[in-house]
Amino acid sequence: MAFASIYVPDFLVQAVVRAEPALRGRAVALVDGTPPLWSVVAANEAALQAGIELGLAKAQAEQFRGVEIRPRSQGQEKIAHAALLDLGWSVSPRVEDTAPDSVALDLAGLNSLFGSEEEIARRLAQRASGFGLIAHVAVAANLEVAIHAARGFPGITLIPPGEESERLGSLPVGVLSPAAEVLETLERWGVRTCGALAALPALELSERLGQEGIRLHELARGARSRSLALAEADPIFEEEMALEYGVAELEPLAFLLGRLLDQLCARLAARSLAAIAVRSRFDLETRFPKKIRRGKKEPRGESASSVYEKVLALPVPMRNSKMLLQLLRLQLQASPPAAPILKIVLAAEPARPRTAQGGLFLPCSPDPEKLELTIARLANLVGDANIGSPELPDTHRPGEFRTSRFFPPRGTADRRKEEPAVANGELRVPPAGRQGNGFRIFRPTPPASVALHEGHPMRVSFCGLRGDVTAASGPWRTSGDWWREDAWQHDEWDLEIHFDSSSRRREKTLRSLLPREPQHGLYRFYYDSVAGKWFVRGAYD
Amino acid sequence: MYIELHARSAFSFLEGASLPEELADVCAEHGMPALALLDRDGVYGAPRLHLAAKKSSLQAHLGAEVTSAAGWRYPMLVESRAGYRNLCGLITRMKLRARKNEGHVLPEELAAGAAGLICLTGGEEGPLAQALARGGIEAGTECVRKLCELFGRGNVYVELQRHFCRAEEARNQAALEIARKLSLPVLATNGVRHARPRQREVLDAFTCIRHHRTLATAGRLLTRNAERHLKLPAEMERLFSDLPEAVANTEMLSSRLQFTLSDLGYQFPKYPVPEGASQMHFLRARTREGLSSRYGSYNEADYERARKQIERELAVIDKLDLAGYFLIVWDIVCFCREHNILVQGRGSAANSAVCYALGITAVDPVGMELLFERFLSEERGEWPDIDLDLPSGDQRERAIQYVYERYGKLGAAMTANVITYRGRSAAREIGKVLSFEPETLDRLARLVGAWEYKDADDTLDRQFRDAGLDLRHPLIRKFFELCREVQDLPRHLGQHSGGMVICQGQLDSVVPLEPASMPGRVVVQWDKEDCADMGIVKVDLLGLGMMAVLEDSLQIIRERYGQEVDLGRLPPNDPVVYEALRKADTVGMFQIESRAQMSCLPRLRPKCFYDIVVQVAIIRPGPIVGKMVNPYLRRRQGRESVHYSHPSLEPVLARTLGVPLFQEQLLRMAMIVAGFSGGEAEELRRAMGFKRSEARMKEIEKKLRRGMGKNGIAPAAQEEIIQSIRSFALYGFPESHAASFALLAYASAYLKCHYLAAFTAAMLNNQPMGFYQPATLVKDAQRRGLKVKPIDVTCSDWPCTLENLSPQDGDGPDFAVRLGLRYAKGLRAEVAAEIVGERALRPFVSIEDLKFRVPAIQKSELTALAEIGALNFIAGKRGAAGRTRHRRDVLWQVERAARRPGPLLEAAGTSCESDEECASATPTAPTPAAASPLLPMTAEERLVADFRGTGMTVGPHPLAYHRAEMKRQGIRSASELPGLPDGTWVRVAGAVIARQRPGTAKGFVFLSLEDETGIANAIITPRLFAKDHGVVVRPSFLLVEGRLQNQDNVVSVKAERVRPLSVTRAETASHDFH
Repeated sequence: MAFASIYVPDFLVQAVVRAEPALRGRAVALVDGTPPLWSVVAANEAALQAGIELGLAKAQAEQFRGVEIRPRSQGQEKIAHAALLDLGWSVSPRVEDTAPDSVALDLAGLNSLFGSEEEIARRLAQRASGFGLIAHVAVAANLEVAIHAARGFPGITLIPPGEESERLGSLPVGVLSPAAEVLETLERWGVRTCGALAALPALELSERLGQEGIRLHELARGARSRSLALAEADPIFEEEMALEYGVAELEPLAFLLGRLLDQLCARLAARSLAAIAVRSRFDLETRFPKKIRRGKKEPRGESASSVYEKVLALPVPMRNSKMLLQLLRLQLQASPPAAPILKIVLAAEPARPRTAQGGLFLPCSPDPEKLELTIARLANLVGDANIGSPELPDTHRPGEFRTSRFFPPRGTADRRKEEPAVANGELRVPPAGRQGNGFRIFRPTPPASVALHEGHPMRVSFCGLRGDVTAASGPWRTSGDWWREDAWQHDEWDLEIHFDSSSRRREKTLRSLLPREPQHGLYRFYYDSVAGKWFVRGAYD
Repeated sequence: MYIELHARSAFSFLEGASLPEELADVCAEHGMPALALLDRDGVYGAPRLHLAAKKSSLQAHLGAEVTSAAGWRYPMLVESRAGYRNLCGLITRMKLRARKNEGHVLPEELAAGAAGLICLTGGEEGPLAQALARGGIEAGTECVRKLCELFGRGNVYVELQRHFCRAEEARNQAALEIARKLSLPVLATNGVRHARPRQREVLDAFTCIRHHRTLATAGRLLTRNAERHLKLPAEMERLFSDLPEAVANTEMLSSRLQFTLSDLGYQFPKYPVPEGASQMHFLRARTREGLSSRYGSYNEADYERARKQIERELAVIDKLDLAGYFLIVWDIVCFCREHNILVQGRGSAANSAVCYALGITAVDPVGMELLFERFLSEERGEWPDIDLDLPSGDQRERAIQYVYERYGKLGAAMTANVITYRGRSAAREIGKVLSFEPETLDRLARLVGAWEYKDADDTLDRQFRDAGLDLRHPLIRKFFELCREVQDLPRHLGQHSGGMVICQGQLDSVVPLEPASMPGRVVVQWDKEDCADMGIVKVDLLGLGMMAVLEDSLQIIRERYGQEVDLGRLPPNDPVVYEALRKADTVGMFQIESRAQMSCLPRLRPKCFYDIVVQVAIIRPGPIVGKMVNPYLRRRQGRESVHYSHPSLEPVLARTLGVPLFQEQLLRMAMIVAGFSGGEAEELRRAMGFKRSEARMKEIEKKLRRGMGKNGIAPAAQEEIIQSIRSFALYGFPESHAASFALLAYASAYLKCHYLAAFTAAMLNNQPMGFYQPATLVKDAQRRGLKVKPIDVTCSDWPCTLENLSPQDGDGPDFAVRLGLRYAKGLRAEVAAEIVGERALRPFVSIEDLKFRVPAIQKSELTALAEIGALNFIAGKRGAAGRTRHRRDVLWQVERAARRPGPLLEAAGTSCESDEECASATPTAPTPAAASPLLPMTAEERLVADFRGTGMTVGPHPLAYHRAEMKRQGIRSASELPGLPDGTWVRVAGAVIARQRPGTAKGFVFLSLEDETGIANAIITPRLFAKDHGVVVRPSFLLVEGRLQNQDNVVSVKAERVRPLSVTRAETASHDFH
């Protein structure tokens, strides 16, 4: 029985270099953090030799000439890791996902397919290179020995049975990945190599470090064996399709999406699962950007124009591919990508399928799938940001609201919690000060022109209506968000207006809110000090 | 005319955004004749408003917003002195029964203490608004009716505020209705929280800090608009044009408020004297006793001079009725003496022969011809200021508690220390408010104020760029602006380190008291300066590390040498001391140990005590910026003739060779050349004293120029004199203060020269203090022949102690210093105490025995001790195998001893049958530890462990291991440098023990490099610093190449190249950024 281990040194850096081959052979340091604060989190040997230290600020690292600074890419790391697993699976069906930077594989029975173990190791190293990774490969009869040898020795290492202890002896104990506390103890003892650790008496070591001591001692001697923990496939169901030419029309795209969704749903069904969300990722053509349709919100920046991602969150787990396709189509129609699509990646988040049993006395609620479809259609019409349940945010900014996702009421249980209008036989009245006229906010707020006399509005006109101010109350001043670029200051006035007899409403947008031939009314106007203009906030009933 | 009668300042701590002075300035700009300051639960800002108001002829009304049990606040204005007394009493009571920053007033307290106070119904946080919100107009009416009952009908005003807010206007209408119904006057106010509109941003930021929110999440906690600023009277009249009586009433009410802080009613307590004797009589008697003991040994002429001086001083004291004050300070000093607490007066008190005779100070002002008027003068009309230095720590606390006990809880209190926003705290908190990430905040906070000196490239832009921040970004720009705005605004109230105020009657009728964070302490709401401004006498009981060192040294000398050293009777002009000073061999000596002092000592070459006084005073930013150091030294060395800016100054400056070095000289100069009166000179001194003095200094400068012009002083001489005075604004020592410090410097030097072991142990036991790290102190003592022994649990106590040297230790001092367990990093004091206690019963026979008998000891502590070799000698020097035990042997054992055996084995380990037996049993004889299979630590590993575990090594200096190799590389040792001629190209290397970039050195950086032979100094030019910033700042060991400067025995290397030196991984510490 033989095992091979593949280890990618400087994995974080290699993952990035793999995506940008021009960096190969150069000093590279990776920075990570939250902008504007970046610090160095990884660097290859060349960069370290140039003086780069982990933890340096990006600005400081940039002062080192000849060192390429790149942001850390967890996406690339994931892909590189997947590639590493693929590398294992390309040779053996029995692969262990040992760590992000290393995999181990069982070579039993592969000789007849790929030749000797040395040849297999060479083949793995070559393939790794083809995958854009420089890897250490070690082969040994013992799985742990193979893993540690790959971590410790560069290139290809073959450890014949019986030589494990001797060969591992020169490696630092760190390759055994001991717990930090144990490593500290070993450091304190001056035990820095596997050889030194192996030389310690096992019994006395166990008195001091317990089972962990025995484990490490065996590992250092190459005497500990274990079986392979087989890697499992990713729990995310992913399907992708790279296209030779960019697709710019919705119909052919829908056809391709349908195929992918069919496959996804079939796989989900095979494992008795359904999708609770579908993530779509489109690589776009960047050389000749061309819009499919004019979107309401155009993605900004380079990364946004080369990759386009959407998440279709579902209210209940689904695996009806037709329904999913329809939802995806509506989503794409509502906000299409800005350029032709070169690659499609669809990933389904699995969940247990919905089990529902209708109660005889429960009220009918809308079918969640249909409701979702309706909401998606509406979103397509009015835009994502304009559909949902309105909520008042905690701010002084007048008229401010946000929309949150709409959820239908959850049946009778919730209704019972509502306060009854009649309690103890007495009718509740709203607290003092809450009574008053209803107020209708105009959205968007129509501009107005206001004539002032000694700072007070005297005559107004808006939406084709004109009139004199018969009573005014104000100004009511609010200002805020002074630390943001959209700081505001409004002076509001409540105005009673007597409209001219010839006054006629012209705007169609406020048809339901404004009378066609008004006589008088109570309105709220405001002066936007930043814009230097007057607007009508709304009308009192 | 509208008068603002409801304003908060930043002394409402995060609820107001302007300082009282700024409010006063804006009032003056607006032509408003008065202003009422109502801060939250206190009169914190009152003295500052009072002083600012005096200047601009503004009337400063006082009051406070006092918190009720329900959380709303009574806005109260002080009408009379009785009202002020009541307000202070109310606030004190509510504060003292609650935790810090909490507390509320009770209605019954209000009922008893509302006389002389006028209550407003308040704005949105006032009682009326809360009642209206709770129960509408009926509850509102009831609330105002209750206020009338509490304060009296004539003392309640219905307050109206207009900030363009609908809800507020609705409240105003209800308030008007109530006022009409109850026939109460209405009063317009603006509920001011900041002086100018733009400060609304600071107020919002403060709101976020107070509520632990960010601007993005604070929502409606933030202000609705920026209307709560001090508005022009015309603007307020326009706002209340429909209610002119509300505006008119402000003027009327203002005229009712007669109380100001000039009428504080403070009295210093009387000292209890025997019946029939007056305080003055008693003081005379005590002073006469002191005269004979202090001056008894003088010759007749000097004695007579002293007697006359004392009589003159007593006459002034009598005239000013200050006998009680001197007696009270004398009483504190007596308490300290009786309880063996070292005490010495410093500051201007050292100018007084009476203080010297009473034993308050230790400097003889008659012998030194010090100016008494600097301490006390008839025309100044303010209390004298006596500062007492005490050993820091418990001893000082005993003295403080004595004062509390003697004058009662409400008779004495500490002065406050108003903690204000500074660069770092402002950056951190404003950054948080703007939602910056914690790492960014750390980086920003580190950026601010790292070096004292800022060169032209240290612009904000560059600092931000270094931190990866773009100043063009609006948010970052806003961050910068806010940081600047909040500078110097109060953050919270702390406690001054030693300032105590004492009062004859109840102190809480003069200023509100509140609990300090430290249990048992009470603080007043005013800081030291405010107390002085208000004429409240204070005594500073200051903790001084060196006093503790001296006290400990004397104790050790008493116990170990069997000698009694009296600091008051040290042999004067001890040649060994002066020789050490002239050689700048002053590590550890008080005030004369810094690099700058060391580089001055060989040039000044002190020969007598007065030279030490000059030495202490000369290396200060004042003389340095005033370019007085070099002229003085040149004149002293005879290289420059002594001349005076003006012949009339000769009598004043003759003692310091024509160069002004002390504050007193500056004052006398002003009196002579510009005809300043004593009072004006005193004003000049006070302007030099504090930070808020720039404007005052400018005013005084004009006056000086005018005076000098009148006296016909030439413009060049004028400029020279002004420059001298201006530079003293940044710290200059008074001569008496320098003399007091010089005494301590001499005492520390004497003890170091004659009792090195005791002095070193005491220094090590009082760290952190002084200029050097313990590692440097130890190495310095070792170079002088002291043997320093490592920490050893078989004989080390918690503090460092002295051990008799055994005969084989050879010649040298009689004692060695044994490092104490306090230097074992990670070892808790209580565990160390247990170790020492158990060891006293019987020695530990093994690590297991130690672990068993000191069960509280943790594995990490055992490991820490083993790693530094402190457990090597348990059960003798040799292990079971008969070979010398090394640290790794012990580490090997510790790991076993620290691992708890299972219950079965644990039971087997002790052969006891009952719980009682088990409790008293020791483990069966410990299994003799077999030799460990581990290799001994190398020298390098021991060094690393020593520095990591104790911050020092008692073994060879890290560089000693590399001397041969360094010699090959042409690297000189520190001791070789003085023998080399000036201008020699040299290479030196060492552990960086200090990095300095003083504000006075124009960007030069000074490095102190220590090797096994001593300390070498290197000077880094601004150009080299800019080029090799990282190398200068980071590595622990440096190699410096450059030209040697060896002039007047002052030796340093002017660096031209600097590079890191890789000699050890040991992490030595450096004292940086001073």
